[in-house]
Amino acid sequence: MAMTMTGEYQLPASQQTVWDKLNDPAVLKACIPGCESLDKTSDTGFAAVATIKIGPVKAKFKGNVSLSDLDPPNGYKISGQGEGGVAGFAKGGATVKLVPKDGGTLLSYTVEAQIGGKLAQLGQRLINGASKKIADDFFANFANAVSPRSP
Amino acid sequence: MYAFTFHRPQTLRQAASLLAKNEEAKLLAGGHSLLPTMKLRLAGPPQLIDLSLVEGLAGIEQSGRSLTIGAMTRHNDVNTSPVAQQAIPALAKVAGMIGDPAVRHMGTIGGSIANNDPNADYPAVCLGLGATIITNKRRIKADDFFTGMFSTALEPAEIITKVSFPIPKKAAYQKFRNQASRFALVGVFVSKRGSEIRVAVTGAGSNGVFRVTSFEEALKKRFSPKSLEGMSIPADGMNSDIHGSAEYRAHLVGVLARRAVAEAIGKSAA
Repeated sequence: MAMTMTGEYQLPASQQTVWDKLNDPAVLKACIPGCESLDKTSDTGFAAVATIKIGPVKAKFKGNVSLSDLDPPNGYKISGQGEGGVAGFAKGGATVKLVPKDGGTLLSYTVEAQIGGKLAQLGQRLINGASKKIADDFFANFANAVSPRSP
Repeated sequence: MYAFTFHRPQTLRQAASLLAKNEEAKLLAGGHSLLPTMKLRLAGPPQLIDLSLVEGLAGIEQSGRSLTIGAMTRHNDVNTSPVAQQAIPALAKVAGMIGDPAVRHMGTIGGSIANNDPNADYPAVCLGLGATIITNKRRIKADDFFTGMFSTALEPAEIITKVSFPIPKKAAYQKFRNQASRFALVGVFVSKRGSEIRVAVTGAGSNGVFRVTSFEEALKKRFSPKSLEGMSIPADGMNSDIHGSAEYRAHLVGVLARRAVAEAIGKSAA
């Protein structure tokens, strides 16, 4: 099943700083919920392992993350797809746009996600909420990471 | 199912120490969410710690103005308990509306609230009555306990031992069931105790159980379904799926809250 989520965050950092952090594997790894590893495989590609935990469900996804439509420092598209074994598959992408605003940067995103397999069949009543939580967590973590008080 | 080690401690101390030693371990407190998930291989905890033999975790008692229910008390035992029925009839009734008979004979109050499924009934009861959740380490107010979809204030090695409910003057629960799963598409619990009014909603919010302060304020003036006439809540942040849109759920919150208040004051539902 497919779903779309949108949101925006006002970040207290310059557009260039936000752009740099969006391209920093260490920052991305720290922000992707449940991410265990994120290894660079090319200039714009990463191999990733993430554990998704939603209530009693706990599934490890292995897959890759890639960056495309790069338009520094205005935005890009970050996409990922993963195989969770019997749990099923998940894939999705987020189009991220950065606009300078009020001395900081306004980050807006549109996420499109698709989930299939057993996880989608059984988790039907929860998938929307869970996907939104994962997207929210990622961008909330990212907002924290670019705030001046954090290293 | 993946292989796992099964522990059956006899004391709370043993259970807590097993849990502290095994980071990936899961507590088994009825198992009607966890075991189906494990059978489908959507979870594979290496260790299961069954709480059913731990002494002193089950039971229902009233002392003064509160009703205390042990964490391992099964839904059916709450439903049929004369003590619970007499002290908080609405609570005993909710326990009889959870899932199906198999779930009610195995599922426990502690298991339900520790899981905090966004469609479960007990979280609405705890929040709607202003319960206190008691663990092996501390006491947590329901308002602080439920922190979002499937998440609670519980620390990794913390175990719920009992739940204490202040006895309300009036209370009722109205649930709009999903016909297939028997989970609440929307459920609303209302209570009145002195000047304290609570309205708690499960099933509707994408972030789990929540209170509706605008309804509570309106009911403070007069505890009657009329006080909520025409009121609803914004569809923002409501769940939306094939069973019902966010707008539909927001609408149901108003309808069910009015019905719950009517039931609480002994009038037939409007």
